[in-house]
Amino acid sequence: MKPGRILAVWLFALGIATAARSASFSEPVLPSWADGEREAMEEGGWIAGSILLTDDPIPEETAAEESPPETAELDIAEPTAEEIAEPEEPDGEIPESFWPEYFGQRPESFLVDPQDLLSSVDFRDRLAFLNYHAGDSNIDLFVYLIKGGQEFPGEVREEELVERCFSTGRPAAVVFYFLGAPQRSMISLSPSLTDAVSSVEQRRALDSSVMQALEKTDPVDQFEAFLVQMSIRIYWMERMMGSERAEPSGEAYQVARRTEEGESHGLRDKIQPVLATVKPHLPVGLVVLSAMICGWVANFVLRRRVRYRFPDFDVEQRLGGEHAAGIGAVISFASASLPPASQRDQVPDYLRRM
Amino acid sequence: MKCPRCVQRIHRAASSCPHCGFSLGDADGRYGSEEVRLRCLTDSAGILRRGERERVESAMERISQRFPQVFVAIYTGSLGEVSNLRQFGFWLLNRSAFEDLPPDKPNEAGILISIDPESKAAGMVFGYLLDPFLDESDTFDCLSRAHAYWLEGRYADGIVRALAHLENVLVKKSRHARRDPEHFQRKVLPPAMMGDLVRRIRDGHRAPARLPQPDEEVAP
Repeated sequence: MKPGRILAVWLFALGIATAARSASFSEPVLPSWADGEREAMEEGGWIAGSILLTDDPIPEETAAEESPPETAELDIAEPTAEEIAEPEEPDGEIPESFWPEYFGQRPESFLVDPQDLLSSVDFRDRLAFLNYHAGDSNIDLFVYLIKGGQEFPGEVREEELVERCFSTGRPAAVVFYFLGAPQRSMISLSPSLTDAVSSVEQRRALDSSVMQALEKTDPVDQFEAFLVQMSIRIYWMERMMGSERAEPSGEAYQVARRTEEGESHGLRDKIQPVLATVKPHLPVGLVVLSAMICGWVANFVLRRRVRYRFPDFDVEQRLGGEHAAGIGAVISFASASLPPASQRDQVPDYLRRM
Repeated sequence: MKCPRCVQRIHRAASSCPHCGFSLGDADGRYGSEEVRLRCLTDSAGILRRGERERVESAMERISQRFPQVFVAIYTGSLGEVSNLRQFGFWLLNRSAFEDLPPDKPNEAGILISIDPESKAAGMVFGYLLDPFLDESDTFDCLSRAHAYWLEGRYADGIVRALAHLENVLVKKSRHARRDPEHFQRKVLPPAMMGDLVRRIRDGHRAPARLPQPDEEVAP
């Protein structure tokens, strides 16, 4: 008998044996108490797993089944959206020690965080983004970072702050961002932009940025999403204003702007009276102009069709010619070095210099 | 007015050049005394292509339309020496019979441009009709306009350019002649005698005698 066949028979037998064994252990025999064994154990105290190892119902479950749970019918109003949004414990006013940094003067950095709410790495990243935005946009984005639960001091109004600090310099959008509570954010535009961008548009930009921020859970991520969306919205503000040209920065911008305004005002003042004078006569002027053009065209056509005649004088014949006396010029075009100007005085060959 | 051969100034009624004795008979001896039949645009040298011929003929026709008395003729051919071109133009305008011209247009009203592409020279002569109105400098200016084109071998362009300038010159002269015909008439009058000169000077200091008009009554 070959070894392969022996192995196959052995495996077959082993399989049958395993199947029979598993069939015999499919329903294991549970242990059972011997007489008096349980009572003896109970007398000794607690039996581990006695709750599970008995067929008696669980006492608490029984009580729960017998008496249905009582529902608490409390007369409490549901929280409003503001209550949900607001932090549970307000942080109070911005501490007075930070007022100079916040409200003292126009910030030198696009990100104002005197309370160090951001880590140095996050601060650097966000500031880098704001700097990038300023380089790419005509409207700067200044962000004041405030704790989510903090309040503005009663003495400070954000409109007054923006007007005082941002009435000069490049156009700017100023955002007061409450870290962790983006829905409390506020936006104000510098006075040079308020006429061009409506409050509705400002509101839309803010709402859109807040929506983006609220998609994140981490306050820093929220802040980042807010800034990105706000930068995009400012771009669209620029497009709406049609101011795609690059503006000079700082004082130069102001000087240029004042000069432009002065020039435009001066030019407008000069043109306005002229326009007012000309306007009533405009229809007559157009008629006259049309008549002049028509006249010019007619004159052009007639002049092209006009025939010119020469008086016929009696001319004595010369040199025996019945029709012509040979008057006229001869020109040589043999060489470019002999221009017509040098050929004007035509003299006999024997008078030419050799 | 200059002699076609020696280019010296000659008298306005000279039958031959007082300097060299040149006359049409001399030119006949060189080119022939028979009448030459040709068309206004004769391209014997073959320097004009078909499209170019049309452009040139159109420019020639334009001058004939604006100046009904005048016509332009163009002859191209090899003539040899440059100095002969002036004599040739003089001879050709006197001896040619243009087939495509109406009989009421004599050669006196002609302006002939001769181009010799071999010796690279061109000349322009005109008949007695234009004798008071044009002079040598006018024709020289016309040929100067074409000089740059002819240097490059663009003969048709040069001819069209020359004719355009000629048209402007003729317009100016015609207007001037209408305003002041005496200015041109004086150029062709026979030379005044001394007595005429004195009489004109004296007449200038007197009021002109008023002649009776036909419808006016004359007192007995």
